[in-house]
Amino acid sequence: MAYIRLENASLTFQMRRLAKLGFKDYVVKQLFRRSKNPPIEVRALQNINLNIEAGTRLGVVGHNGAGKSTFLKLLAGVYPVTSGRVVVNGRVSSLFDINVGFEWEANGWENIEFRGLLQGETPKSIRAKAQEIAEFSELGDFLNGPIRHYSAGMLVRLAFSVATAVEPEILLVDESLSAGDLAFQTKAKKRIHQLCDRAELVVMVSHDLGALESLCNRAIWLHKGQIRMQGDPCDVLEAYREYQTNKGNGEAQQQEAADTAEKVDEGDSPSESEQPTVDFCEKRAA
Amino acid sequence: MEVVNSPDTRIGAAEYLSGIWRSRYFWLSLVRMDLRSRYRRSALGIGWSLLQPLAMTCVLCVVFSTMFGVDVRTYGAYLLIGLSFWQFISNCVLQGCRAFQAAEAYIRQMPQPMLIYPLRVVLASGFHFLLSLGLALLMVWILIGFGNLPALPLIVPVLLMVFLLGLALAMIFSVVNAYFPDTQHLSEVGLSMAFYLTPVIYTKELLTQRKMDWLIDINPLANALELLRAPILYGDLPSLWRLGMASGTIGLVCLIAYALFFSRQRTLIFRL
Repeated sequence: MAYIRLENASLTFQMRRLAKLGFKDYVVKQLFRRSKNPPIEVRALQNINLNIEAGTRLGVVGHNGAGKSTFLKLLAGVYPVTSGRVVVNGRVSSLFDINVGFEWEANGWENIEFRGLLQGETPKSIRAKAQEIAEFSELGDFLNGPIRHYSAGMLVRLAFSVATAVEPEILLVDESLSAGDLAFQTKAKKRIHQLCDRAELVVMVSHDLGALESLCNRAIWLHKGQIRMQGDPCDVLEAYREYQTNKGNGEAQQQEAADTAEKVDEGDSPSESEQPTVDFCEKRAA
Repeated sequence: MEVVNSPDTRIGAAEYLSGIWRSRYFWLSLVRMDLRSRYRRSALGIGWSLLQPLAMTCVLCVVFSTMFGVDVRTYGAYLLIGLSFWQFISNCVLQGCRAFQAAEAYIRQMPQPMLIYPLRVVLASGFHFLLSLGLALLMVWILIGFGNLPALPLIVPVLLMVFLLGLALAMIFSVVNAYFPDTQHLSEVGLSMAFYLTPVIYTKELLTQRKMDWLIDINPLANALELLRAPILYGDLPSLWRLGMASGTIGLVCLIAYALFFSRQRTLIFRL
């Protein structure tokens, strides 16, 4: 049976104010022992203790930069832990960034095969699935043409169709898997649900609290790299919602200002401001 | 299968290699994509990769035969082998620098043995190398004759050595470039210097006559090139001395690559 165990798992990044350390800077640092570009420690995850057993559908919430995606990537084995232990038992399928690895000059069929191989299929198994993938993508004759002629929506459809054609034991899903037009989105949502049903264990990160509520049987709330709350999804999501509303009402504005300042300090780039996310969540949740 | 991720997890060599074997379809399709996408929309296709060393060989042959009066028959093949070898090595170094950056999206998506990314570079450029080496072989057979046939099986272990050297270089430069992005530019300078220190276009006699043999002896690239030329051009077995120097210098490069790569590969992702 699939399971995931985290024992005191922590992950610390070393970041620099400037994106990369130049050769010159390195030499200067060695010579003068002082650098204009000192490394900044970002404690992305701190002392996470968690047991996820088979049958669990775990929802992860938290505001931007709380460590949600890092958490998923740690489970996927992409990031090494800095201290502690992560034990994963089971074949992991991850849906993070589905727009990876297209060959622009090749046609749709070739890309289905290529993407399938990237996901760990064998040439034989992906050929068996190709027809089903093509049907789900609804791209029809377009599949015979090179994908550089595809529209953005068509590309997403193709990517989504291939990425979800897996038989997962452990399924890790990162948010924003919205694909294509409205009709396709409904279809896509259904497909994700089916995928979750087939998987033994699911961990899902999303800002769509409604979706998490309907899918998950357990939830955790990550805050600044730590588990702030865990348990029944209703309780956790309710508490998270309340926290967000309070912030929106301005009661915790000072706290927020402190948060933001800290984030900048940590070298985290707050590309999206906090406010729209709150609105987004509220709307979706309502 | 239980996978443990902790700071003191050590992966054994057998396990690492079997991980590479398990993801073979993935990296082989990356290699295939590299080969295909490079020439997909060009008329000559794969011919372009042959044209470059071939054109250089023609020009240099004309120049050297008129200026220094060298024998074009042997010198042509000599050059072609040298130039294709050099193209292979410089591809390994320069594309090796970008091996991880080019695959960043995959690295962030799923964990794979990091070695497959330098391997991809070496296999893709190795393919072109084999093509032009085949052309050189054809040239020898037409211009000189089939005298080299008995020595030809020797090419297999030699090619394996050259391949290892290329992989080691790609490993070294991929890791170093992840730490210092300037490496890419430095290695371009370094390569053009090494080009003149290695008997690629001039004959090694130019060095031996001036008692500069040691320049070949300590240079892993020159050693490998010597090993490559001996059986193809002259049907000779390499001398024991050359064999020893070649294994020594190439082994040293491999050792450095091994130590550097496997001490860094776990946390490389934070450097991308």
